[in-house]
Order: sequence, then structure tokens, then C-alpha cells
Amino acid sequence: MKKAKFLLLATIIIIFLATVSSAAVAPLSLELGPDDSNPATPVMGDHMRFWSAITNTGTAPIEGLVAWISLVEIDPGNEQPVDLEDWSAHKAITGAALEPGQSLRTDWPMRLIKGGDYRVVVSATDRGGDSVFTSPTIQFHVRQKPVLQAGRIIPVAAGLPLLIIGLMVLHKTRQQGRRWHESG
Amino acid sequence: MISIENLHLGIERKEILKGIDLHLEPGDIYGLLGPNGAGKSTTIFALLGLRARESGQISVLGHDPKSHAAQIRGAVGVMPEHAGFYEWMTAPAYLRWYGSLYRQAQTEKDLRILLGKVGLGDECRCTIGTYSRGMKQRLAVARALVTHPKLLILDEPTNGLDPKGRREMHDLLLEFAAEGNTGVLLCTHLLDDVDRMCDRIGIMDRGRTRIEGRLGELLTEQGAGQYYRLRVEGAPYTADLPMGLSLRDNQDGWWRVQLQPGNPNGPSFFWEELWRRGWHILEIRSESSSLEDLYLNITASNHPHLQEAA
Amino acid sequence: MKSSWIIATKESTEILRSQRGLMGLLIYSGLLSAFSLLLVSNTELSLLDNAQVVYMMAGTVLSAGALLASILGSDTYAGEKERGTLVPLLCTPIDSTALLTGKGLGMLIVWCIMFVTATPYLWAVGASGQNLGAALVYLALFGTPVVLGFGLLAMALSARTGSVLASSLSIITLLMLAATPLLIGPGLRGTAIGRAMDAVNPFAGALNTFDSVIIDSEPFSAQMARLLLVAVWLIFCLMVARRNAAHPNFQ
Repeated sequence: MKKAKFLLLATIIIIFLATVSSAAVAPLSLELGPDDSNPATPVMGDHMRFWSAITNTGTAPIEGLVAWISLVEIDPGNEQPVDLEDWSAHKAITGAALEPGQSLRTDWPMRLIKGGDYRVVVSATDRGGDSVFTSPTIQFHVRQKPVLQAGRIIPVAAGLPLLIIGLMVLHKTRQQGRRWHESG
Repeated sequence: MISIENLHLGIERKEILKGIDLHLEPGDIYGLLGPNGAGKSTTIFALLGLRARESGQISVLGHDPKSHAAQIRGAVGVMPEHAGFYEWMTAPAYLRWYGSLYRQAQTEKDLRILLGKVGLGDECRCTIGTYSRGMKQRLAVARALVTHPKLLILDEPTNGLDPKGRREMHDLLLEFAAEGNTGVLLCTHLLDDVDRMCDRIGIMDRGRTRIEGRLGELLTEQGAGQYYRLRVEGAPYTADLPMGLSLRDNQDGWWRVQLQPGNPNGPSFFWEELWRRGWHILEIRSESSSLEDLYLNITASNHPHLQEAA
Repeated sequence: MKSSWIIATKESTEILRSQRGLMGLLIYSGLLSAFSLLLVSNTELSLLDNAQVVYMMAGTVLSAGALLASILGSDTYAGEKERGTLVPLLCTPIDSTALLTGKGLGMLIVWCIMFVTATPYLWAVGASGQNLGAALVYLALFGTPVVLGFGLLAMALSARTGSVLASSLSIITLLMLAATPLLIGPGLRGTAIGRAMDAVNPFAGALNTFDSVIIDSEPFSAQMARLLLVAVWLIFCLMVARRNAAHPNFQ
């Protein structure tokens, strides 16, 4: 009998906990994936595109949805968040509304500015909620490419000032030559 | 060529010209005299349409500067008081460029002749930045003449010139005026310049024309003639002198002469006449003239600094 | 038009033939050289993206152009007045609009020389990247009205004040104010005042366009509002310059 009571109590507790935990299930679900056209082994300067799908999995409409993309550099010893200023002009969506069951698909284009290992994630929250929901992350590696070629820059950087100095000397010499000619 | 009647002009609500009268006829060399700040330069700018008048009448070469400033400027050669140049240019290049603004093409030969006339020789091939003050002054005169103007307006043209340079400048202006249908307006505070060259004068003071008329007539009214001392090569023939000029004495090679009042001709007329009569004049010095008295009577009482004008 | 062209050729020749003008060009070229060499010699900067580098170089050229136009513009009337060359110029049969046009054209020629000088630098830092052509086109399209506008405004101040010092100080202060939102960074630019300043600031407009087309590869259609802004700026400066140059302070 004791055993039966215990089982009943345990069942009630499990049911209660399950109810409570189902009430706390996220009203938003996020998916994140790479675009099919992304290069397999991206190099600095390449364009990449990710897509995200944000779905209202709750029962109430969501107002004032904000979603943003984040990029984290994970090179050993250089782990840091990346300022996306130069990487992308499309960093967030704001103010969207989602009915229950409705999904919002967004493309996140970016240019690969710097080489290294990165992890990308999309986060979302809404006006009324008190949680931030995140998508799964995608990790990728950007190969370094020497963007500035000293062999091209140095001749220009040295040559142009020298050319102008040459012009100045020529001008001065011609002036002095004319003066010498007149006085002679 | 120029007619100004009762000109009034203000700059930034300050009345600068308070009644200017000026009349210049073809062939005249008109001396506009006045102390610094009298309004001479402002009068020139009003003539050229660079300053708008408040009242009065202005006619330059038959045009009103208010409506025909470009036509007037196109026919007038101007030498402003502070002559500036693009110092990186040579004189011929500068004059060619300046002439092109008047749509006049200058040949090398024209420029060489003009520069020679103003006393700039081969050295003018250097850039203007290397010129002395006197050379720049000569170039300023060349700039005024380069467009073959009908009317020449010169503001202090002999400033910075040595005595020889001044003499050459006088000769040049006399030659220009001798063409008959041209006129020269000479703004200066050097009475000697006026004495030697001008037929007609106007004296300005504090924005007003105090007196205007033929030099001889004004001196007659003043009641005296003008005195000069001439240094002459050799012994001149003194029995045949032009009418209106009398010989006073001869000391140490200098001949002292008096120009009679009431003569309509300027002093330059007498020097030409004497030259024709065999007087090889090397130097002319004006003595304290009645023009000086006239000038000082009109202006000096309110301007103790006018010693420089004398 | 012929008179304006005569003035314009004189103005530009003065820059190119005088030691002062050549020295200015040398300083400008030295600035771009130093910047380019810094990009290759600094480890961090050398890893920057080409488009980013081209954008920075275009911004430097625009800033140098606007600064030089401000200095040259301040010298046009007041400098001539101080050197005694303005009155002889005003005594010629050229009307004030033709004179202003000539001086404006002279400034345009100088800007063209600056642009041509900058082209090899832009090529050197950006040839292996994207949007070099766009950078050159947009530098010409947006840079020209901005640079000329500052030059014309400097001319207006120069004609009005008759003082090189007063006009150059005023215009350089204005140029610094125009660059302030960009210098201070996104903090200020995010505020209402910052956004308002950005919206009416032609200098920021041009730089934002460079950012937009060089880095983000955005199309021309997205730049129309900023193009309108720089065009309005140029027209405004032209009107102010014309008004002030009609009665320059010459005496």
C-alpha cells in the first residue's frame, strides 16, 4: 500500500513538473543555416549568406520582435565578439510581429573581412518577453588572403612624391636658367 | 570724358563722398589732389562702377557706371594705388594675360615696345617677384596702357620711383595725353607731379571737391604765377621765349623762370616750347609754387600732417 | 565664359607652377603615401579588407580635397586683396559672376588634379579587391559637389570679410563641425541630434555613400537621397558665393 501511495505521489509530481515545464517552453524557435551558394572554403573578401527562420511556437501573438546576428571570433587566444560594422549592412530586424505558428525567414548577408575561425548565431527577443532565444550556431573558417600588396603600393607611394619633387626641381632649374640667360 | 556732378557715396553707412564734382575733357591731364583719406580712390572706384553712388550724376566716356560698368572698364586703363601682380609670372606673360581679359591679343613686339616705353628692359623676363618697387610701379603703368585705353586713371603713379623714373613717367603720360582724344586722371598728393603735367585740377578734402578748374585760371585767382628752376645744357637763347613765360635770373647754371598766371596751357607746353627754341633742359625743379599755397589754403588748416603733400 | 576660362587657367596654373602650389601637391601626395605605407607596414591594418581600405582612402581624399578647397577658397578674394591683385582684376571688364565662375573652375581643375593624383593610390590599395571602379565613380560624383561646395563657401567668406585668416578659420571650423559626427563615432550619430546632423551634412552624406557602395555594394538607387543632399549643398554654396562675390570687400 505504501508503495502504491508512493507511486501515485511520484506520478502526480511528475505530471505537475511536466505541466510546469511545458508552460515554460520557449514561444520562439530559431533555426539557422548557411545558404547553398556559400563557398565551401571561404576566403577574405568573399560573400556569405546565412538564413534564419524564427517561428512563433507559442499560443499568443508576438509583437515587437527583434532579431540580430552575432559573430564571434574563436581563434585560440583571440576569442572575442566581432563588430559587424564592416561585415554587414544588415545586422538586425526590428519591430516584426508573429502570429502563433507563423514563421519569419530572414537572410543575413555578410562580407568576410578578416581571416580566422568564427561562429555565427542569431538571437531574438520580443517586447513583452523577458528571455532571449538563440539559434544553433554555425562555425566556419575564413582563409586569410594578403589584401595589400607591397609590390604595388610601394612604387606608387614612393614614385608619386618623387615625381612631384622632380617637377619642382625642373621648374626651379628652368626659372634659374631663364634668369641666368637674361643676366648673361 | 568724365563728368561727375555732386556725387554722394557711403560705405557701410558712413558717408565717404559728400559732394564731388569733376570734369575731364579729351586731351586733359587732370590732377585730382587731396590729402590721404580725402576720397580720391573711392571716387575712382565710383567711376568704374565698383562703388554704387547714393546720389549725383556720373558719366564716363558717355556711359553711366551704374548700368554700363563693363563698357567703361573695357575702355579705361587703371593704375590702382597698391599695384599688385602675380609674382610667379614674367612681365610679358602677365601683360598678355591681362590684355586677354580685355579680349586683346598682344604680340611679342607690342609688349617689347610697351615695356621699353615704361623703362623695363630685358630684366623684365624674370618673374615679377624679383622686381624692385620701382620696376613694379613701371609695370603697373604698362598694365594700364596695355589695352590702349581712351582714358587713363592713375592713382599715385610716381610713388617709389627715383627722380629719373618720375621724369620718364611724366614724359610717358604727356605723350599719351598728346594724342588728343585721350584723357588722364591723375590722383596724387605730390604737387610737383601736378605742376609739371596737369592742365586741370580738382582739390578734394574730406569727401568734397573744394575747388576745380584750369590750373592757370585757378592760379590767376590766387594771384601769382608758378616758379621753376631749369638746368640747361649749354647757354640757351633767351631772347625768344614763349608767351606767358618770363625769365627771372640765372644762378649757378640754373635758370629761374616764372609761368604767368592766366595761361590756359600747362607747364609741359612751355617745356616743349623751350626745347623747340633750343633749350636742352636737363632738369626741372618746381619752386614753392602758388599751387602749393593754393593747396595748403584749402586743405592744410584742418590737416596739420600735410607737410608730405608739399 | 571665355573670361572665366582665362581666370580659371590662371588660377590652376598658379597652383601647378608656383613652388607654393607644388609644395601643397607634394604634401597631399605625401599624406596619401604615408597612409598607404602604413596600411602595408602595420600588421593589423594590412589584414583589412580591400574594400575597407579603399573606403578609407576615398575618405582621406575627400577630406584632403575639402580642406584644400577651403584654404584655396579663402585665398581667392581676400588673398588677392592682401597681395594687391584684386583691384586690378576688378578694374577689368569682367563681371562678378564671370570672375566667380573662373575662380570656381580653377578650383575644380585643382580638385581634378587631386583626383588624378589619388587614382594610383586607390588602385594600389584596392586593385585586388572589389568596387574599385565604384569607388572612383562615387568619389567623383559625390566628392566633387562636396569639395566645390566648401570651396565656394570659402570664396563667399573670403569676398565678404576680405581677410584670409578670418575666412579660413571660419570655413575650417565649419568643415570640422561637418566631420564631427564621423569623428565622434556611432554614439553621437545614434542620437536624434546626430541623426539630424547626418541627414543635412553633405560631408557625412558623401562618406556614408562611400561606405554603402564600396563596402556594402549597395546600388546607385539607394544613394539618391544623399545625391540630392550634396546637390542641394552645392547649389546653396553657389548662391551664397554669388551673392557675396557680387560686392567683394576690396578696399
